[in-house]
Formats: sequence, structure tokens, C-alpha cells
Amino acid sequence: MASLQLHAEYVQQLQSSNPVDVYAALRTIKNAIIGSSTKKALYFRLHIIPHVSSLLAMDDTDVQTRIQATTIVGSLAHKGEDAAKQLLDGGVMESLVNQIMPGTDAMLMEVSERALNALLSYTDTKMSVEEYAFSLVSCLLGIIAEAKDSTQLFEMRAHARIELAVLILGKLCVTESRQFAVANAGTIDLLVPLLTWGYPRLQIATLQTLSALSYENMEICRALATVPHDGQLFLAIVLKLARHQDPEIRLHACVCVSNLSRMRVSGSATRDIQNIAVPALVKLLRCPGVSSLQVVQALGYLCHEDAEIQIAAKNAGVITDVIRILADIESQEGIDFVDHEHNILVAKAGFLTLGTIVSAGEECRAKAVESQALTYLARAMGHRDDGIKAAACLCTQYIVRSVPICRTHVPESGILKPLLKLAQHETLDVQVSATAALINLLPDFSPLRTEALKENIVDTLVGLLDSSSAMLCRNVLWCIRNLLVNIDDDTRLSIIDKVGIGRLCAISRPDADPVIREQAVGVLQNITVENDQGTRAIFECLGAEKVVELLLGLLDPQTETPTQVHSLYLLNNIAVRSQECCEHIVKSKPLLHAIAARVTSPVSEVAIGALWCINSIATHKAPSSRSGGRGDSGSSSDEGEPRYLAQLEELGLQATLEGMLRDSGLCLSVRDRVKTCLDYFAPLAI
Amino acid sequence: MTASSSSGKPTIGLDEWESKMAEVPIAKSDLNRLIMNYLVIEGYKDAAEKFSEESGLTHSVDLGSIEERMQIRFAVQSGDIRGAIERVNDLNPDLLDTDPRLYFRLQQQQLIELIRQGRAEEALAFAQDELAPHGEEHPELLRELEKTMALLAFDALEGSPLADLLDFSHRQKTANELNAALLAAHSQPREPKLPALLQLLAWTQEKLDEKANYPRINNIVSAVLEPPAAAATGDGASTASQRP
Repeated sequence: MASLQLHAEYVQQLQSSNPVDVYAALRTIKNAIIGSSTKKALYFRLHIIPHVSSLLAMDDTDVQTRIQATTIVGSLAHKGEDAAKQLLDGGVMESLVNQIMPGTDAMLMEVSERALNALLSYTDTKMSVEEYAFSLVSCLLGIIAEAKDSTQLFEMRAHARIELAVLILGKLCVTESRQFAVANAGTIDLLVPLLTWGYPRLQIATLQTLSALSYENMEICRALATVPHDGQLFLAIVLKLARHQDPEIRLHACVCVSNLSRMRVSGSATRDIQNIAVPALVKLLRCPGVSSLQVVQALGYLCHEDAEIQIAAKNAGVITDVIRILADIESQEGIDFVDHEHNILVAKAGFLTLGTIVSAGEECRAKAVESQALTYLARAMGHRDDGIKAAACLCTQYIVRSVPICRTHVPESGILKPLLKLAQHETLDVQVSATAALINLLPDFSPLRTEALKENIVDTLVGLLDSSSAMLCRNVLWCIRNLLVNIDDDTRLSIIDKVGIGRLCAISRPDADPVIREQAVGVLQNITVENDQGTRAIFECLGAEKVVELLLGLLDPQTETPTQVHSLYLLNNIAVRSQECCEHIVKSKPLLHAIAARVTSPVSEVAIGALWCINSIATHKAPSSRSGGRGDSGSSSDEGEPRYLAQLEELGLQATLEGMLRDSGLCLSVRDRVKTCLDYFAPLAI
Repeated sequence: MTASSSSGKPTIGLDEWESKMAEVPIAKSDLNRLIMNYLVIEGYKDAAEKFSEESGLTHSVDLGSIEERMQIRFAVQSGDIRGAIERVNDLNPDLLDTDPRLYFRLQQQQLIELIRQGRAEEALAFAQDELAPHGEEHPELLRELEKTMALLAFDALEGSPLADLLDFSHRQKTANELNAALLAAHSQPREPKLPALLQLLAWTQEKLDEKANYPRINNIVSAVLEPPAAAATGDGASTASQRP
């Protein structure tokens, strides 16, 4: 209590008219808060911000007082994002920018840079300084240029100023427009030479900033890749740094290289990246003193959507190393004196990186399973942290993309029940990840399908269809779609009943979210694929007129290609299963025209779907004279001519199909289907 | 001339060894830089300045910063932890905010100093107000805190199992850690290269012992090459040389 009183008095003393008292109070406060999170919190409660902010804003505040006040701002900013936001709201930014202008006292400039660097450590604060961005970039580049020309670079203060300026520039690069603004100010030419200066901290800062500048930015990556310095290209310089003796430099060089690799601008150096960056990161995984979190994240980033690098990573032992890290973290659960928060971050990154590495290649998935990944994944799904649960689900999703793994290792892994539970989790991210993983466990080849049905997965999924999340609904519909393939009639009818044809048709309309619509039509397609149960259900629910209206809407030219493909196969299923239903399609000239228009689609999947529709419509035979003209259910077993040949001919299809056959560039799979369709037209052609 | 001893290991005489050593090109400037590196990192400012002048080395180090570092080191070594922290905060105010382990080490040393002075109540209050909240945020540090707090349980600190915390070497350890962090923050190596080279020398000689008898440096202070024992007793080289 006495201590609190004392601290309150220091804050009070900041209002003293005696500058010596103010300076003394600032110094005391500074030394109390640096390093101490609780003291920082205490001074926030004592409303220190307006005091330091006004001291900085006053023109007559002397340099030494400014240095102390600015240092306090910097230290308070280290408390966290909320603290930094409060400081920005308190109006410190303008003073700090003024204090890095040319001509400022060197020490004041340095502490101001430190404060800016701390304040801009958080996404929100980085975003919120838009109005100062231009002045900041200009001042910072000035500091770098000046220090670069200085013969006193080795002087510690000059060294710190240039390093901080480089770091702040990187922190400003949070949007594409900021990246361009920073790059267009001449940053690249100014920074690249710093990589060869031999000051480790400056090299690290430069690598960090160049990474931020080029992150997911094709144009800047391209510009960076071709920047020469001392006869070497940028990429060659950074790859050299990826083999530097300092592990921190190696790490940041690898991150920088990853940016270029991901934008595919590394050209002939692609092989070098595989041979240098991947092993460098693997060694760093085993290197004490280097942040395993950063290394794991860097590996995930480097391997993202690059099957070759994923294989290289697997061959370098990344999968086993990451699983070893996950195992170590798991073994520390519940133990005292462990930074569990940090472990959670590393575990989450570990699962995400593992997921990335196994996302494309079968051999990577096999390696992960061989290294007991499924065991850790199943346990991680029960972790107290939602981020870990979601990451484990995502990793599972990628591993179970493998049919052989689904058939062999997955049934014993115990992941189904946790996934079903997580599908109903209170957090949307977890639900989305869990349902995405379930998609791959429900096709007909998966032994877990039966178990999932026993666990009432259909009820669980249907319950989620009311979610307002498009991604969750998409995943749920995709699960249902996979469940319907090769399922027995009773289960199919039960699923149709529970999901509801009306609901599926409603979310297949043009105004539905495209990702949901695609899967809803996919479900309708699979409902109708095996026999006429589904088709009958659709016609009974909607009536023929609405079905035709729905199909017409789905074949609208604006409809996305994947949805169009599902729609054509839905139409095909309806046409082929029942002559009665086919009759409704044929009677609709707009629908026939819509199908015919897609026959010549440049997208082969669409053309093949349309050709299947033509084929199925043509399958129905007219009753032969010997059959007494008796109408029937449209079985193609009746002998006779194609019943709807005239309607198809009216569309000019025969000429179109023959024209397609003459096209030597026609895709072979389309050509085969065209030939089959033309067989039906042969009698007329004669 | 190289000869074989009865143990089957070749013996290399002093002359041959020295002549081979002389063949290895070592630039004087490299040796000078090695010495400069030691003087700067260990904080011998005056010596570094003089050496820089005499050797003509253009130094890439801020010699002024050595003094600041040494004052900080001296403050820790003499138990003035608060003074050391204030100096660090003036020199690099980010350091203790961004390195919680280092901050904890200094606070722990401060606690040890209070216990050493017998200010138990003050030590307890300091641990509760300063160290415990820090430990809560960084649980991996709590074990160390518990160990230090256990000092309060002993009446006779010298004989306690935790007496090592009170030893001067603990202050030295803390001072070294802080010095290394300050050096790293200035893009300087955390440790001088010379001790590492001496360790390398010892390791190399150990490995070479398995393969040959040769002139060794047995005393790194005098650094005198001593002739191989086998050759000195007339065994090995002389016997072998008499064979036809």
C-alpha cells in the first residue's frame, strides 16, 4: 500500500513546476517499469499516459526530460497491444515522429526509435498509424542513408539508430499499399547492401524488413530477386546468409528466401533453396537457443503449396523432428516451471506445419503416420486450447486425404469420436476444421463411415446446417455428399429425409453462397445417382415445374464451373433414371438449349457433363410397333428408336458433334463422349 | 625426422614440429585482431586503445561503450544490482524489457544481496513484489526463484546447500551474462575467441595423443612446446632410427 502511494506521488511529481523534480520522477518511473509488467500495469492505472504525452508535446521540454519520457513510452509499449493502443490514443505518435526528424539529439532520436519500434509491434497499431506512414518512411530512410555514409558506424548509438530504423520500416509493411509505398521510396537499394556489412543485429533487422516488404508480394519479390550488390544477386546473398554461423541470421535468411520461393521468382535458384534453406531450417530445429516456434513456422511457410520442397523437407527429417517436438511438449503437460503458453504456440505451429508438409504428397503422409502422427493428433483434439484443436483437425484433414491411410491406419487411431465432438464445439474455427477433416473420412472406401453412422453423424451434420458460417455449411454438405456415395437404400432415404429436399433446393438457388451452392448441388447429384429414389423424392417435393426451374437456374452462364458440372450430372441422373422425369426436361426448350450450349464448352468437365446429359436423354427408346405402342416407365430395354431424337436434332446437335470430331485439338475424353452421342444420331444421318 | 615408437605411434621431434608449424601461414594482423577481440570483449579499454594505436588496427568497435559496459559489470560484481540496472536502462532501455530471463537474473541477484545482508523482511517483500509476479508470467523461472527463496530458511548461510548462490562466482556469472547480452545487442560476439581457441588446442592435443608423440604445450600460461616424452628418454625415435 505504501509502495502504491509512493508510485502515485511520482506521477504527481510529473506536474511539478520544477524541471529537476520532473526529471527525477521520470527517471524513477523509468527504472521501475523497465522489465516489470506489474509496474507497467500499475502506472497505467495511475494514468501516466496524459502526463508523459503532454511533456512530449510541450515545446519547452528539455532534451534530457524528453529522453526519460520517451523511454517510458517505449517501455510501456512493451506491455502488450492494449497498452500500445492506449499510448497511441494518448497522442504520443506525433511527438515521436518529430523526435526522429533530422537534427534531433542523437540519444533522443535513438530512444524515440525504440519507442516507435515497440509501439508498432502489434498488427492493430501498425495499421492505425496510416497518417504518419509517409513522414515515418521519409525520416527512417534519412536515418539509414545518413548512418550509411557515416565513418562512425561502429559507434554504438549510430549502430542502434540504423538497426531500429530498418526494423520500423519493416513493421510499416502491413498492407500491400504500404509495401509499395516503402519499396517505392528506394528502400530496397538502401537495405540490400546492409546485408553484407557484417553486423549480425543489423543483418537480422534487414532480413526481417525485406521479408515483411516482400511478403506475398509478387512484384516486390521479382524486383528484389534481381537486385545486384557487389556483383551478386540478392538471392545469392541471402542464400549465403542461410549458411551463416549465426543461427538467427540463418533463420531470417531462410524466411526471406521462402518469400521468393513462394512467389516462384527464384528461377534457377529453386534447387539451391531446396538444398540450402531446407537443411538449414532442419538444423535450426535442433539448435538450442533458437526459437523453435519461429523455425517451425518458417518451415511451414517454406513448404506451403510446394510439393517438391515438402518432399525435400520430409527427406531432411522434418516430419520426425516436428513430431518429436510435439511429443516433448506433450510430455511437459501438467509439469510446473514450464512455459505452457509458449508450448501451446509451438504445438499449434507444429501441427500446422505438419499439415502443410503432408498436404500434397502420399509419401509425406505415410511418413507422418509411420511417425505416430495420428496418435498425437487424436490426443491434441482433446487439448484445452482451441487453437491446438483446430490445428490438429487441419493436419488430420490433410493426412486422411490418403485413401490407403484411411483404409489402414485411421480406423485404429481413435480420431473419429473426437472429431465428431469437435464438430459441435462452441468455437466456429474448431467446428470448421473438424468438419473439414470429417469430409475425407466418409467416402465409401473409408472403414470409419459405418462407425460414423452408428454415432449418428447425420443428425450431427444436419444440426449444423443452420449455421450462419458458409464454410461450416459447405463442409457439412460435403460430408453428406460423400456419405451418399454407394450407400444402401434405407440409409440414403433416411439421409434425404433428415436433410430435406426443400432445404437442399433452397440453398441451390442463385442467391445462395457459391461455396454452399456447389456442395448442395453435389448432394442432389449423389442423391439421384444410384436409383430413382432420389429423383422421385425431388419431384415429389418440388413438382416438375420447380425442378425444371431449379435446373435452369443452375445452368445459368453466371453459375460457377464446379456447380455447373454438378448440375449437369444431376440433370443426367434425373434424365437417365426415369423416362417420366426425362420427359419434363425434354419439354423445356430453354433447358435443352442450356445443355446443348455447354456441349462446346472450353472446359472439358462441363462439355463431358453436357454430353452425358445428351447421351442419357437419347437412351430412352420410343415404343416399337411390336410393343403395341404401350407407354412405359421409359426403360431403355424396349426396342425402338431414341424417343427424343427429334428434339435433340432440332437443337442442331448432330452437326455440332460432327464439327467437334473434326477438331483435331479436341480433348480425347470429350472426343470419346462425342462419338458415343453421335451413335444415337446415326439412323437420322443415313 | 619422424620415427616410430615401440607403441607403434610415430614420434615427431621438436625441430621437425617447429619447422612444420612455421610453414603454416598465419597473418600477424589476424593475431592482432584476436588479441583486440579479447581486450574489447573482456573490457580492457585502456589496453585496447593502446593496442589499437601500436598495432595500427583500425578498430570497428566503439571503445567508449567498453567503459559503460565495464561500469555495469563492476556494479554487479560489487553487489550494486540496482545501480547496474539503472546503467543498463540508460545504455539500452530495450534490453531488460525484451529479455525477461536476464531481468530475472538481475532481480534474483538483488534478492541474494538482500539475503546476504541479513535484510530478510526486505528480501521477502522484494521477492513478493518484484520476482513472484515476474515468475508468474514466466513459469520456467520459478524453480530458480524457489531455490533462491530457500536461502531464507537457513540461519547459517555459509553451510547451507545453497551457499553457491552467495559465492562471488554467482555475481560473476550474473555479470558475465549481462555483459554477453550487452555485447550481443551491439552485434558483438558474446565471448572472446581466445578461450575457445585454447579449448580447441586442448581438444586437438588430446586427439593427437592417440596418434603420435609430438611436442606438446602442457602449460598454456607459458605456452612452451615440450619435446615428446618418448624422444626425450631415448625410446621410440632413436631406437627406430637405428634400424637398417
